[in-house]
Amino acid sequence: MTQEFEAVAEPGVLTPRMPRDVGARSQRQRVLDALALTCAQKTFAATTIGDIVTEAKISRATFYKHFAHKRECFDAAVAAFADELEAAAIDAQKRSDARSLAVQEAIAAILDLLAEKPEWARLVLIDAPIVEPAILGGHRDRVVEGLEAQWQRGKGGEHAKADSLIAFGRAHVLIADYLAAGRADQLPKLLPELTYIALLPFVGHEQALAQDKLAR
Amino acid sequence: MSRASPDRRPDRPATDGDLVALDLRLWKLPRGRHGLPREVVARSQRERLIAAVVRVTAAKGYQATSVADVLKAAGVGRESFYKHFEGKEDCFLAANDVLIDDLEATVTDAYAQPGSWSERIRRGLAATLEWLAADADVARVMMLEMGTVGPIATTRFRQTFHRFTVLLDDGREAIDGVPDLPNLSSIAGGAVFARVYEQVALGETESLPQLLPQLTFELLLPYVGEAVAAAERTAAEEEVAKQNANSERGAGTPR
Repeated sequence: MTQEFEAVAEPGVLTPRMPRDVGARSQRQRVLDALALTCAQKTFAATTIGDIVTEAKISRATFYKHFAHKRECFDAAVAAFADELEAAAIDAQKRSDARSLAVQEAIAAILDLLAEKPEWARLVLIDAPIVEPAILGGHRDRVVEGLEAQWQRGKGGEHAKADSLIAFGRAHVLIADYLAAGRADQLPKLLPELTYIALLPFVGHEQALAQDKLAR
Repeated sequence: MSRASPDRRPDRPATDGDLVALDLRLWKLPRGRHGLPREVVARSQRERLIAAVVRVTAAKGYQATSVADVLKAAGVGRESFYKHFEGKEDCFLAANDVLIDDLEATVTDAYAQPGSWSERIRRGLAATLEWLAADADVARVMMLEMGTVGPIATTRFRQTFHRFTVLLDDGREAIDGVPDLPNLSSIAGGAVFARVYEQVALGETESLPQLLPQLTFELLLPYVGEAVAAAERTAAEEEVAKQNANSERGAGTPR
């Protein structure tokens, strides 16, 4: 952990402040939490606004104060958690100057957050791609652009390397499989394998495997 | 589940799955009185319902589909429906099972042909892509609609994924120096699954066989590394070029 990161984590920053809109904001957050929980239990398609307001213990009128319809609420929840994941990843990668290790730190942070909030993880990784495949496509582009910025991705050597968009697909399938199996708590154990997946398109099979051994 | 092996008999015993032709629309029995014994009628009723739930769900989406829609498409009465299925979800999941069994039989047959492990994997993959490309409704129902059904279907979905990745496990014995990663078969198979899912979601199911070279490379890569995977990709490119030439030649002749 670098000095820079410790500075970010200093106690003062985390001291709760109470802005004036805290009541309204926590109400909105309660709706989003309720949506994530209900979707995890019965999928987005089967979730009704009735389910959400019951879970959030708010009235239907309050729901409509924040969101025009179920889909808008869903999109807001997915965007909020995706931003949270991205912020955690960006923060974590500052811990190392070596790019392979920085990627590994980012993956570790993402896995920890997914394990900590399994309903939200399901919302973003299982429900969102079904509701609208383009949502996942957007996140995929952000992740892949971030990785490609680290490496000048040439054709490298006599055999072309793996495709980076497909690498994202591998990671998604592996994590979603653990979530669907109710194994969210074990996600952090996937760090070596996800490091291999993320590095495969950039450094090739042999070197990605070497990095995976360091992650163990 | 049955594991593929080179000595697997290609003439497997007939099961319900084997009776299902890919063109499920052909199942409809002639209307009116017929002299078929009752169990044949019942089985064909079941098959008609399964065909119907696939067609209707592909067209309307699972959530918007009602039992009444399925009855109408199948030409089967409500009472008969409930003799075979508990409800819409049961019928839909039964259809998915029939389709998965058929796909699995197709893939394991292709994989069972003699050759190197990499070659056999490439053939199994080619069979998968062709099977899915043959019927866009079926691909849509299995890949996309399954996700909208609910928790039981989600569990079934991931079990299905592992019914196919388990075929890759032979690779650990078949080749030297396979990486010691616990989820290796998921990492390899995930590449195919993610890319196929995307292609179906884009509505480009018919062109799945064109992905064979790239997906052969990505599927084999975690097991064998770039050099061997690239050699098998070249073989796949030749295969696709041959197939494309054949279909161009056949395009002029009536079916």
